[in-house]
Amino acid sequence: MTRTDWTAVWGVVAKDLRAVVRSKSVVIPMLAVPVLLMVILPGVIGLAARAAPGVQVERLLGDVPGDLARPILDLPVEEQLIVLVNGYLLAPLFLIVPLMVSAVLAADAFAGEKERKTLESLLHSSIRDRDLFVAKFLSAFLPALAVSWLGFLAFVIVANGVAWPVMGRIFVPTRLWGVMILWVAPAVATLGLAVMVRVSARTHTAQEANQLGGAVILPLIFLAVGQSTGLLLVSLPVAVAIGAVIWVLALVLLRGGVKRFTRDALVAQV
Amino acid sequence: MHDGIVTEGLTRLFPGGVGLADLSLEVASGEVLALLGPNGAGKTTTVRLLNGVLRPDRGHARVLGLDPATAGDELRRRTGVLTEHAGLDDRLTARENLHYAARIRGLTGPAVQARIGELLERFGMGERADQPVRGASTGQRKRLGLARSLLHDPEVLFLDEPTSGLDPTATRDVVELIGSLATEHGRTIVLATHFLGEAGRLADRMAVLDRGELVAYGRPGDLAAELWDGLEAEVDLDGPATAEQLDAIAAVAGVHTVEPSPAGAVLSVAGREVLPHVVARLVGTGASVYAAVPRPPTLEDVYFEIEARRAASAGLAPAPDRTGARA
Repeated sequence: MTRTDWTAVWGVVAKDLRAVVRSKSVVIPMLAVPVLLMVILPGVIGLAARAAPGVQVERLLGDVPGDLARPILDLPVEEQLIVLVNGYLLAPLFLIVPLMVSAVLAADAFAGEKERKTLESLLHSSIRDRDLFVAKFLSAFLPALAVSWLGFLAFVIVANGVAWPVMGRIFVPTRLWGVMILWVAPAVATLGLAVMVRVSARTHTAQEANQLGGAVILPLIFLAVGQSTGLLLVSLPVAVAIGAVIWVLALVLLRGGVKRFTRDALVAQV
Repeated sequence: MHDGIVTEGLTRLFPGGVGLADLSLEVASGEVLALLGPNGAGKTTTVRLLNGVLRPDRGHARVLGLDPATAGDELRRRTGVLTEHAGLDDRLTARENLHYAARIRGLTGPAVQARIGELLERFGMGERADQPVRGASTGQRKRLGLARSLLHDPEVLFLDEPTSGLDPTATRDVVELIGSLATEHGRTIVLATHFLGEAGRLADRMAVLDRGELVAYGRPGDLAAELWDGLEAEVDLDGPATAEQLDAIAAVAGVHTVEPSPAGAVLSVAGREVLPHVVARLVGTGASVYAAVPRPPTLEDVYFEIEARRAASAGLAPAPDRTGARA
């Protein structure tokens, strides 16, 4: 197998990122959602929860099986609501960020080349099919991860900041959050990307890809949101296993995309 | 090993029909091949097959001694392509577009920066080198696309409609540049175009395609010799030839036809060696002969004759006269 030409790969990645940064139609939605989910929402909800001290959360957690709710119920009463809201209930929404950012950027990286009529000249260049795929993957994956991690950093600051008067200590991230950020979020970003690689092969514009991809990704988002509420309440090994399942699904989808990613197939879409 | 281009039975089928059928041709190193034909004729498919972007269903090709189907990556390092849409990213500047093209070809460092600067100046893009391509005219995009195709000093150039959208001055400049790349720098060039004038100025060989089929291929002169029995010439008599002068010309051995023209007469002759005899005969009748000039058929003449004969054979138009004067 020939070695990856990293000069070419990073050339494509650098160009894609530079172009994306200059494209308001891509940057604004890509940043607006993380700001809303990771900064504004935890800030507002945290302030609201702080304003209602002493609320009993036992009823809210009544349906949670076994001892899963124990870490919250063991806390002092005034801390329970804020920890439940900012430490657990908001957390699932975090998974929307890598999914959405990777999907938007993948649509721009794959379908966008067709839309801008730049695909054919790219295919006539000397970059190898596999290197081009790696470059396009990284063009979407790296920013998705960067936005997710920076968003999480902002979330940690906001969540702990608004809770400080009540908590007097840093309560996020927890170990489960660590699994979510370092293991599940990259898997989810890869899943979004894999879906968009497939979708982009059937569309001619980034907008079409986003619309079609949205139809596939939205159910995944709801599934992720629903499941990850439990994810943060389950044990560490189970969280790791759930992340592994997402990884396997993403990689299987991605593998299919790689097989179809040949010049011959791509130029037919020009 | 052949350093130019050779194809044999090159065929590519698409779900909607034939993209290219049984293309066999040969272009020597340093020659210019004009790929001619209407939209959908197979010109772009040919370029894609020759550069290893598409794989053939049948037949094979050799470009610079490499098989595009199996050594496409290696081949594309040595070829340059200007696609019909220049394929520039509007969000980047002209310089950034070239820098990007250089990087994906593995070219980095100060020498490349200097080369980019030099090409931008050479193609008249120096002043807007650091402005986004969005807002650039069609001509500027074409020039930038052409600069990009030359960035790595390719041995073979595939140019798809390189002058479409250019103003007359830019067209002349680009045509001169393409000509010099072939004649002075020995580049092999495949020129897919609708513009017969530029093809006529540049092409050593022409290939006429129609609906994926090669209709005619060869040197324009050779094709003309197959199409017409003789050579067309014009005699300048400073006015239409008289009946006596026309009879005198017609009596010369080797003259096929003769017709009066505003300047004198247009004749079809067996070869240019007939012309001195025509001049001598006219002078013998007391006529003043200002010039007797052979008019070899242009690529445009050849193309339209081929098209006319195809239309005639398909029953769409009357057959043209093999020995008559060209339109």
